[in-house]
Amino acid sequence: MKKSMDRRTFLKFSSAGIASALVTSTGLLSWNPRAEAATINQTFYITEGFITQPDGVDVYFRGFSPGRNNLTVPGAQMIVQEGDTVRVTIVNTLGTSHSFKIDGIIDSGRIRGGESKTIEFQVNRAGTYMYYDARNAPYNRLSGLHGGFAVMPNGSSNKVYAGSPTFVQQYFWLFHDIDPVWHNTIRNGNTPNTRYSPRYFTMNGLSARPPGAPGAMDPNTDSMADPRSALHGHVGDRTLVRVLNAGLCQQSVHTHGNHMEWLTDNGQVRDDVWSKDCIYLEGNMGKFDAIYPFESPPDAWPPVTTGIYPMHLHTEMSQTAGGGLYMFGALTDIHFE
Amino acid sequence: MGRRRSSNTDTTTTTSSMGGGGGMGGGGGGMGGGACYVYPGAPATPGLVNADVTFNLGIDMNIPLTMDDGTTINMWGFSGSGGGMGGMGGAGTFPSPAMRVTEGDIVHTNLSVNMMMMHTIHHHGIEPAHTSDGVGHITWDVANGTYTYQWRPAHAGTYFYHCHTNTVLHAEMGMYGALIVDPPEGAGTLFSGGPDYDVEAFWVVDEIDSSWHTLPWTAGTCGGDVGLNELNPDYFVITGVDGSGNSAMNAPPISATVQRGQKLLARYICAGYHPQKIRFGGLTGKIYASDGRPLPKPVSVTEIRAASAERYDIIFEPAQTGTYLIETDIIHWVSGDVLGTTRASITVV
Ligand SMILES: [Cu+2]
Ligand SMILES: [Cu+2]
Repeated sequence: MKKSMDRRTFLKFSSAGIASALVTSTGLLSWNPRAEAATINQTFYITEGFITQPDGVDVYFRGFSPGRNNLTVPGAQMIVQEGDTVRVTIVNTLGTSHSFKIDGIIDSGRIRGGESKTIEFQVNRAGTYMYYDARNAPYNRLSGLHGGFAVMPNGSSNKVYAGSPTFVQQYFWLFHDIDPVWHNTIRNGNTPNTRYSPRYFTMNGLSARPPGAPGAMDPNTDSMADPRSALHGHVGDRTLVRVLNAGLCQQSVHTHGNHMEWLTDNGQVRDDVWSKDCIYLEGNMGKFDAIYPFESPPDAWPPVTTGIYPMHLHTEMSQTAGGGLYMFGALTDIHFE
Repeated sequence: MGRRRSSNTDTTTTTSSMGGGGGMGGGGGGMGGGACYVYPGAPATPGLVNADVTFNLGIDMNIPLTMDDGTTINMWGFSGSGGGMGGMGGAGTFPSPAMRVTEGDIVHTNLSVNMMMMHTIHHHGIEPAHTSDGVGHITWDVANGTYTYQWRPAHAGTYFYHCHTNTVLHAEMGMYGALIVDPPEGAGTLFSGGPDYDVEAFWVVDEIDSSWHTLPWTAGTCGGDVGLNELNPDYFVITGVDGSGNSAMNAPPISATVQRGQKLLARYICAGYHPQKIRFGGLTGKIYASDGRPLPKPVSVTEIRAASAERYDIIFEPAQTGTYLIETDIIHWVSGDVLGTTRASITVV
């Protein structure tokens, strides 16, 4: 035990240190289409450490991080366009083998402990994807090695796929659920053999903090204040949310204020666009795309154009932390400004 | 405007009808009595006008529900004869009384809660001003008074209402009821321009973890592990009735009897937290609407998979006489295991 602690200098991160690295990542809200395909370079360092959860418990994670000395869970949001060449360099700072995979696009294969690898691939199909470590599945992914990856249609700034309904801004909602017992088992190099019991729930790496709680309103701590998660718009600011599930729990994604236009389901364009206030999100890498239309809330009297509403998972166990603490789970706010 | 903007310097609840809302605001921290991160208030409703329809609801924290095995489980719910400051009106039921309104009505839902606890009403799928949305952290948890939620439904369809205070616990404890919005044509038409129907069935499927049913309304809010991340249900109900055996069979309005040539509308509400799969016993139904919105094209199905709080409006036009078993599996959100199944019936004569 002592030996392993000496060998690895475990980094302990407040959640503040984590998200600040992320907020500076690829800008999403203003995507400018390019006339020419480009080569996109991205370097990830596979690192490990502890992240303090809302109840004060430190949980072990691994991440695709921007540097050797930090830990980022999830990895930086990436957005590219059809035809681009993406060159990803993975620097594995750990002693264990890992990989970088995007289903249907690229699989780096094994990257041994201490090794680095550069992979290059072209993206040809617009859509919402997860990059993740596919080795030792699903454990390496669950430990935090995952991130959102979006491919915009060629030359488009406002469509999910050619011919799709349009939007003016876009967000990732990447959900995760965390069983600290599993994370500790993974840390020790073993395979979890206990029943999966998630105790923490995040979106884009953060849990919520209700008003008055320590860290509330801090964009580096509170998912309700995180600009990557909380939607801000005026009436008419149609907003694409790219919803991904890195965890194992099936979820129900529920918005107040407006129904969502449900465009894709697990990578397939739906036959019809349904207007839904709850959308089924499968566990284990389920995904969908939906547009939150930012229409005046239809049932208000007198009519309103401003207000604040929640997005929360209706699978309400996911609204807790450590077995209690309602509102310290995976939720955010939607601001009609 | 909302609580999120003013968590430390409360300016939103100073009009509390009890005169103390402002001072109690700010949430967070120990509220005394073991409630944390609650936002008590019962101010005047902004923009209040006269209502076409009014519901007066109180709170009942002692609703016995007897299961088929003889076990009695304590449920919480809204009582239909609340009103007044005490909020301790008539006895509640499980589920809570259904609300039925007409598209375009101005509706008041008056929730009365006494000084000992806090609850809200969120009309799920209804999208009003946030001051009438019933989400505590954004506005207030109704405490020590009566609050009027004002809304005007724009879309006919199937909804439900539920408490949104410590929601994980309160909704599981049974604090919900059906909410039906009829089109101007009235009951018998699903939505303007949509199908009509002769008979209606209500399939509100939910799971109960009896180990949660001795917890206080504040459970977990100040921290500590009270097990709310694990819902391990041991009872399965459909529209308030133990669904594991025959209790809901042939029991309208859960089960339905229709004549050949008649149209049955089933309003299916996934009221639990775990995913569900509902099967129609060999019948094919047509989904015309979901979550209170018409589908662009109706879809024919023999089963539906649903996530928590989804609603589906399904029309059946059975051609063959017989009894058809409507079974809903409640499926564990991680393992995919079937945890239990509710049973109801459609009898075609
Ligand atoms: Cu309640
Ligand atoms: Cu709801």
